[in-house]
Amino acid sequence: MTKLKLYIPKLILTFLLVFLCIGTGISFLVQHSFLTYKAFETVTNQQNLDEKAYSALESYFKSRANSTGIPAEVYLDAITQEDMKQGILSSISEAVEHMHSHIGDGYVITMDFTKLETSVMNFFNQYADTNNIQKDEIFNQKVQANLEEAEAKILYTADTFRFGTIYEHGWFDKIQTFLNLFQKLMIVLCILTAVILLCLILCCKSRFSELFYWLGLTGTISGLLISAPCLYLLRTDYFSGFVVKDVQIFSAVTGYLQYITKQTGIAFVIIGVTGVIFLILFGLIQKISHTNQTTAE
Amino acid sequence: MADNKHHSALPVYLLTGTFLLILCIAVCIGILIKPYEKAQTYLNILFMDQSMKIAPSSGLNGLVIKENEIETTPVSDIPEDEQHFYDNGEIIRPAFGEQYAVLKCDDISLSVPVYWGSSTELLERGACQASSSAVIGETGNVVIDAHVNTFFADLDKLEPGNIIVLYTNYGIFTYEVSEKISFLNTNKKYVLPTEDNRLTLYTCEAQVLGTSDNRIGAVCTLVSKQFYQPAEGANP
Repeated sequence: MTKLKLYIPKLILTFLLVFLCIGTGISFLVQHSFLTYKAFETVTNQQNLDEKAYSALESYFKSRANSTGIPAEVYLDAITQEDMKQGILSSISEAVEHMHSHIGDGYVITMDFTKLETSVMNFFNQYADTNNIQKDEIFNQKVQANLEEAEAKILYTADTFRFGTIYEHGWFDKIQTFLNLFQKLMIVLCILTAVILLCLILCCKSRFSELFYWLGLTGTISGLLISAPCLYLLRTDYFSGFVVKDVQIFSAVTGYLQYITKQTGIAFVIIGVTGVIFLILFGLIQKISHTNQTTAE
Repeated sequence: MADNKHHSALPVYLLTGTFLLILCIAVCIGILIKPYEKAQTYLNILFMDQSMKIAPSSGLNGLVIKENEIETTPVSDIPEDEQHFYDNGEIIRPAFGEQYAVLKCDDISLSVPVYWGSSTELLERGACQASSSAVIGETGNVVIDAHVNTFFADLDKLEPGNIIVLYTNYGIFTYEVSEKISFLNTNKKYVLPTEDNRLTLYTCEAQVLGTSDNRIGAVCTLVSKQFYQPAEGANP
């Protein structure tokens, strides 16, 4: 009867501990892994986003040459893949800053367009000289408009994660509120986990080895509950169904989703494996104590 | 006695674990079912492309381009005993990215494949027909465009009275240029659906100082429809 009295509380505590473990784990990952500069930088490198963004730009300017007559080289010779990488990293750094702190209005990607300006100016001047076009105010306006259009396109292509759109919709503020909430939630969850763990230890006071069993169950179940759906998403390649097929955006979004799924999966596989180790330890302790008991008898 | 006790505890441990796992799964489903139902519409839209899953690394961004062999022998060159045409016939609706016609105009030495749908990749291969316009042979406005520096470089040389022929795998459609047009890209007057049978061809106005906002082209009226296969109840 005493055993049953303790069994039910231990079961309830373990049940609560499973969800606390999941909550704490996810809060920790969101805070320290998902929305960090390192996460987006890793995806950029893994997916070769600079290369993809540059070829998207190449394809755009080549296609545009069919309607404007301006050779693609005028733009492409002035912008390198390295410049695109700098642009992508700048967009990430600006976005992460917006997510974590109020840094005033405006979402600005920093890129050096000095070479581009020189290249476009040279082309138009040369064209005007060859075709006897007067370099008047209208000419300057056209050159400026062309330059601005090209710069806007390059910045748009460099924003592979579409942070610009997120900023325009005011979602950075929401993410910031959400992150602050997660920070507080994580503290609350940690305290609750500690309290429940303490209660479980007290419940297992008379038979301490059982603590391994309940902790083992907690780890194994929470590990299974989260890593199984992650594994399913990765195995079925679910994210490849993403509808936006612009190469650089597709790779950035699906790469990032795969990255966070993998991170979550790995973290909870580790929790699950730890749980299994606890269960094995419990089994071993049981076996040893049983052998000792038999020997004593 | 102790051995029995040890063995009798094992099923309890196993059952407890299984029970707890089932309970947690049930709770998770219970908690997540409502938010999932709410998010399902968005998820289905965002990841709707599960059937295609074409790697964008192909450079075609998931676009499937299909080339077709299309017979382009002029009607005048077909022996009379082989000329079996019908006024009404079966139209084969193309898939997006499919080349389903060849546009020819001997007056300006134009011969260009026509693709259904419009995208950068397709415009590099030929002329594109807006998928919102009428399929060739249907009543309505057949709107075709191409780049000015490639396939439609000489479109401005079209004159009223010039003959344009569209060859498809289901028939030959002849049009006559009735009007030369020029309009701003924001003006949708010429690309909107119409109730009469017409063909609208357009391209950008050639301009080196930036992309031109002007479009130039021609509106053509249908002269003849010659289907290879009859529609149900049609007479040759």
